Amino acid sequence: MSDRRGLGTVLLRVFRYRNGDGAPRYDEFRVPVGPRTTVLDALLGVRRRQDPTLTLRHSCLHASCGTCGMRVNGQEVLACVTRLDGLGDRVVVEPLAGAPVVGDLVVDMEGFYGRLEPSGRPLLRASELADLERFEDCIECGLCLSACPVVATDPHYLGPAALAAAGRLLEEPRGADREAVLGWVDDAHGAWRCHAAFECSEVCPAGVDPAGAIMRLRRRLLRDRLSRLAGLHDREARP
Amino acid sequence: MTGKGLRAAGGRHPSRWLDPRGRHLGTWAFVLNRLTGLGLVAYLYLHLIVLSTLLRGPDAWDGLVAVFRRPVFLALDVLLVLGLAVHGLNGLRVALVGSGLLVDRHKALLVAAGILVGLVGLVAAVRTFV
Amino acid sequence: MATRTRPDGGSGGLKDSPPVDFTQAVGRRQPRPTVAWLAQVVSGVLLLVLMTVHMVAQHFVVEGGLRTYQDVVAWIRNPVVFAIEALLLLTVTWHGLAGVHAVLLDLGLRGRAERVVARVMRGLAVVTVVYGLWLLATIASRG
Repeated sequence: MSDRRGLGTVLLRVFRYRNGDGAPRYDEFRVPVGPRTTVLDALLGVRRRQDPTLTLRHSCLHASCGTCGMRVNGQEVLACVTRLDGLGDRVVVEPLAGAPVVGDLVVDMEGFYGRLEPSGRPLLRASELADLERFEDCIECGLCLSACPVVATDPHYLGPAALAAAGRLLEEPRGADREAVLGWVDDAHGAWRCHAAFECSEVCPAGVDPAGAIMRLRRRLLRDRLSRLAGLHDREARP
Repeated sequence: MTGKGLRAAGGRHPSRWLDPRGRHLGTWAFVLNRLTGLGLVAYLYLHLIVLSTLLRGPDAWDGLVAVFRRPVFLALDVLLVLGLAVHGLNGLRVALVGSGLLVDRHKALLVAAGILVGLVGLVAAVRTFV
Repeated sequence: MATRTRPDGGSGGLKDSPPVDFTQAVGRRQPRPTVAWLAQVVSGVLLLVLMTVHMVAQHFVVEGGLRTYQDVVAWIRNPVVFAIEALLLLTVTWHGLAGVHAVLLDLGLRGRAERVVARVMRGLAVVTVVYGLWLLATIASRG
């Protein structure tokens, strides 16, 4: 399909919800698309030319701030680096899942940060330990929580981002209380709620591999539990 | 607000784990494990009820066996074996990976489990119907 | 805005529940989830073996795959068979009901409600195993 400028067009079906509405709806917008047009480009174009009330969040425009997370055709992505070319003639755009919708494509991230804070999230800095997945890469975009099938049904689950942060802290505590963090994740709604779907690691735009971190946490918890059962280690003697 | 509206809104809805869009192999394995697990628990109780027919003596039991030899039930038996294979082999992957072992190979383990499930299903089907 | 109407009420149907506090369990290692996980792993591996033996011995060895009444009685009177079936019953009941418990945890079950459900499921497991063992013993004693 081409308009008179020779560019293709795509039909966007965009989730709309306003405070006070009875139910959400989907609005359709036909947008011009070139080979490099991103979802964010198209949405900002909709705001400029078709419907200025469309609400969304973005900032850096190059996948380093994590602000523009949303679902495109059901999959969690950062809109600023997701090209429309190749996604088909009709593209469904929805907010991240599992978080309350504030308006249209904007969700309340309080739940995400509420989980992350108690992990004692380490500050960004370069790490000398080469073989670690650098959790410093986490841009707190929330795509992992939206994709996780357990977060979808368990409001108490700590979730991939927070657990990966805890795992990172344990690898490099820098004076933080390891026991407190281990106690925090060693919970039925902590590390043990994960079911190895690995969806978080699939959608993470920053290469954090939260699922791997969760499994490494569990190996650590199991080793501690088994050695304590076998009486090999005294809790206080562990570094 | 309707259930469909809730799901669309991305709210925590008990069935949202069944939304297939944009999901990868690991999520499918999780969904299958949960569905086969629940199905097998239901089957356990069904099986105990059926086995209780033994208490009513040879006529009741042998009559039941005659029913269960019918093709439709044999096909269900193959499905049962498949369900067991899926849950058991994928469960083995979850046991390993979920304990922090072979985490980097989780995709390979998934594929291996899938192949083994196919083999078991094939053997069961052939043994039952051929 | 003091109050906001959100599409899912903030926690998916639990419209009046307070925001979740994620700082709980700080500083205290709980034995239960690790032990529960180990129990599922061990019972699962055991079941891989026992279930295979059960399916092969019950259905792939006998002509036609299903035993007549007399064959069942003769089969279950064998003490090795009886022991294996009893162990299978115990293991599968534990693993299955622990699995259902896990699904309920996945749906957000927690706190006092979770403790009540855990007790109910333990009771259900005992009833199931007792009934199954009684059934096995009764049939074995016939003929």
